[in-house]
Amino acid sequence: MSSEDVGRLVVLQGTLDLIVLRTLDTMGPQHAYAIATRLEQLSDNSLHLNQGTLYPALVRLEQQGRIKGSWAKTDSNREAKFYAITKAGQKALTQEMQRWRRMSGLVEKLLTEGA
Amino acid sequence: MRRFFARFTSLLRGENAERELSREIDSHLALLQENFERRGLSPAEAQLEARRSYGGVEQAKELHREARSFLWIEHLAKDLRYGWRVLLRTPGFTIVAVTALALGIGANTAIFSVVNAVLLQPLAYRDSDRLVTVLHNGTGPVSTANYIDWRDQSHSFEAMGAADYWSANLASTDPSDSNPAEHLLGLKVTQNMLPLLGIEPLLGRLFIPGEDKLGSEHEVILSYRLWQRRFDRDPNVLGRPITLNGEGYIIVGVMPPAFRFAPFWAIHAELWVPNAFGNTIHDRGGNHLRVFARLKPGVTFKQAQADMATVTGRLEKQFPATNRAVVVKPLKENVVGKIETPLLMLLGAVGFVLLIACANVAHMLLARTSDRQREIAVRTALGAGRSRVVSQFLTESLLLALVGAAMGLLLALWGTKALVALSPDYIPRIETVGMDGRVVLFLLVVTVVTAVLFGLAPAMHATSGNLSGALKEGGRGDSDGIHRNRLRSFLVASEFALAFILLIGAGLMIRSFIALQSIDPGFNPHNVLSMVVSVAGAKEEAPGRRVIFYRELLQQVRAIPGVKSAGAINHLPLAGDMWDRSFIIEGRPQTQPGAGPDAVYRIVMPGYFEAMRLPVRRGRTITETDDARSQNVVILNERAARSYWRGENPVGKRIAIDPGKSGPPVWMTVIGIVADARQEDWSAEPVPEMYLAALQNHDFLGESVGGIGSHMTYITLVVRADGNPADLASAIKNTVWSLNRNLPISDVATMDRVVADATAQPRFEMLLLGLFAAVALTLAAVGIYGVMSYSVSRRTREIGIRISLGAGPAEVLRMVMRQGMVQALAGAAAGIVIALLLSQLMAKMLYGVRPSDPITFGGVAIILGLAALLATCVPARKATRIEPMLALRNE
Repeated sequence: MSSEDVGRLVVLQGTLDLIVLRTLDTMGPQHAYAIATRLEQLSDNSLHLNQGTLYPALVRLEQQGRIKGSWAKTDSNREAKFYAITKAGQKALTQEMQRWRRMSGLVEKLLTEGA
Repeated sequence: MRRFFARFTSLLRGENAERELSREIDSHLALLQENFERRGLSPAEAQLEARRSYGGVEQAKELHREARSFLWIEHLAKDLRYGWRVLLRTPGFTIVAVTALALGIGANTAIFSVVNAVLLQPLAYRDSDRLVTVLHNGTGPVSTANYIDWRDQSHSFEAMGAADYWSANLASTDPSDSNPAEHLLGLKVTQNMLPLLGIEPLLGRLFIPGEDKLGSEHEVILSYRLWQRRFDRDPNVLGRPITLNGEGYIIVGVMPPAFRFAPFWAIHAELWVPNAFGNTIHDRGGNHLRVFARLKPGVTFKQAQADMATVTGRLEKQFPATNRAVVVKPLKENVVGKIETPLLMLLGAVGFVLLIACANVAHMLLARTSDRQREIAVRTALGAGRSRVVSQFLTESLLLALVGAAMGLLLALWGTKALVALSPDYIPRIETVGMDGRVVLFLLVVTVVTAVLFGLAPAMHATSGNLSGALKEGGRGDSDGIHRNRLRSFLVASEFALAFILLIGAGLMIRSFIALQSIDPGFNPHNVLSMVVSVAGAKEEAPGRRVIFYRELLQQVRAIPGVKSAGAINHLPLAGDMWDRSFIIEGRPQTQPGAGPDAVYRIVMPGYFEAMRLPVRRGRTITETDDARSQNVVILNERAARSYWRGENPVGKRIAIDPGKSGPPVWMTVIGIVADARQEDWSAEPVPEMYLAALQNHDFLGESVGGIGSHMTYITLVVRADGNPADLASAIKNTVWSLNRNLPISDVATMDRVVADATAQPRFEMLLLGLFAAVALTLAAVGIYGVMSYSVSRRTREIGIRISLGAGPAEVLRMVMRQGMVQALAGAAAGIVIALLLSQLMAKMLYGVRPSDPITFGGVAIILGLAALLATCVPARKATRIEPMLALRNE
């Protein structure tokens, strides 16, 4: 991506699904806005989520059967689509997390030991 | 998989998903706005702020859509729409390309539908791949005694049946019947013959055991067509008596419409009756049965062949000179064997035509992509990936191919009908040609392969160019990239190579056909009319009256004005059957029965040799005085004289039909030698032949093997006319009917027609191959013309500069033409090499010309050279007329 994102991290390709699953797993059903806000908060605003990135991820996950969306009211009595993690999603989350840990550990190792 | 369905349903529920999406985004915006309001902004400010922080709504929607749908289907639809517009924008190009493709695809589909019906489909019998035919002497029929021994002594077959050629006069069923008496072709079959084919009758039953015993063989099974034609498809026809050859038969069955038997030889049989062999069961000399059998389960052709070799080896020891070269052949192979090579060759030829059409369209596309360089560059600059541009181009190709295929299909439907109508009678199963799933599949595969063939190279080339270069040049260069030039030269060269091969094929067929045409039939077929008159079943059939009637008929025919001479024969050469007998020569050591020399025998009425103008080489012909009261006479052909009397003069010698064990020989004196006449197969060398006098008593030939007792129930009249023989037809018919109104007349044909029919198959093959070669030549010439014109127009400035620097017209002409001719000649050179290899495959189809015939190769090279010269000459002359100033200013 281009220079406007300097200082802010861009979500690594493929990791967004993992992050979204993790968020839904720990926080329970959320709507898209809450997911985005939550991620920005957790990353101390260093992670900027373009809405355009989040929506396709949600659609993708729903098509894969890892999350399920349903319409409900928010605390402020507004309509929003809440996404919840499914059984398959939880299974996928465990696998993906293991994979990510192996991967990031490997990258870390390569970077510190100078390969 | 789940994802696939989700996407697919979302594609179908496009609108639904779109509404859902808007709803979700709206709710998102509302939540954002609420948040801003909580921070103290006014509702209006908060709404604005929410919008701003959300980002591009449409962009988000687009990304959402991409994730949710089959992108490629949308791309495809877009490409199709775009491609359609592009094709409509250049109608000239589109029409030429579609026409070329329609020709190629249509011709391929038409020929394939014939190949499919004739070669690929199994024969219409149950488990037809288990059916075989057993041939004697490699190709020939079998004698009754041999058939019976084979049937009883072999172990490989479930059943072995036999069929014998038969013709029957079907009398009018009652006096008021509008159907006149009719001469029908039929087969006498053994009781097990039809059951072993495994086809149930439409009505009634097949023959049952015992029905082929002498005296109880008077049942008949009708073909569907005969039932339709003569019996109005009356379901109550079973059990009805009909009169065939004056004898009463009971209809016991009707076969289904698709049933044909026999599949080769006697293919027009319309009825079947049981064959009671009678006293021919001891006959080993008269070969006239065709033998069919069904293999036992698990028995291979090889095992059956070995089994038959044991049986026939034993028989040959007992009866030398019979049971030679007995072959067990898959039935289908015997049915389609003769037509297989020509059909596959035609399929190959139309394949080549399609390839040439592809090459043509490919370089038209190439030329066009050069003009579209700028469009491509712009699209690439705007972010279209290479694969995206290639797929756009391939979509356009596919569109072209599809339109071509649609037109080609129409062409094929029409072409197939024309093919069937034009095809010689004896392409087996030609009547079953039509469209089926396999043909449609073939059409689809050919279409897609075609699109990729002609579309891929231009597409790859279009996108391999230098982006900024194309933009800078503004889409017009002084000369093309070297790559594209090379590809174009390659296409032209391969077109010429393919055209060369096709022209060689056509040229060889034409040369072979000319050789066939120049064969001397031995007789003079011009101005001769022939027709079959049958007395079977009529009062004239009585053995004593038959020849008297024929003699009287001939005398009356000779009296018709315009008749020069008239005679008659049992089996007309080329059109009729061919029966042979072994014979013995007086004074030579007696051999085993059936082991002596043999010859085709024909029985003639006086006047035959004169009417046919079959030259007498020695002695005299048969005359009116050679009758029952004088000594028996026989005439031989030259081949018989040469084969059996080397260096001797056989005239005056005596021969006799081999009597076997049935009695003393009946001697006939050789009174003359006539020229060799072509017999059954036009291109086959005549074999020994003898002519017997019909007026004499030939009971010694044996019952139903050709003895005058049961044969000569029909004869072929042969009449030589002063003028057009066809004009005499009605006068001769009236003469026959003035003697007996109920005698059927059939097979009215001039001898010229009989000869033409004998060469119908090579003529058919030559015409088709010639047609394809002409199309190929035209396409190749158009190809080189297009490329040269294009090249000249691209090089206008260069040529202008050359001319302004002092190059004369001759030099320019030479330069341009050399470029074209080099491509054409390179192609022709490659063509020669490939044609030399491929033409070997045609060897069996050729007569009197070698596959590597230098005259054909030379002639084709000249024709192609001239075509190339002509095609390059026009653009080259245009180049010489380029005005240098104009050319430079135009840039």
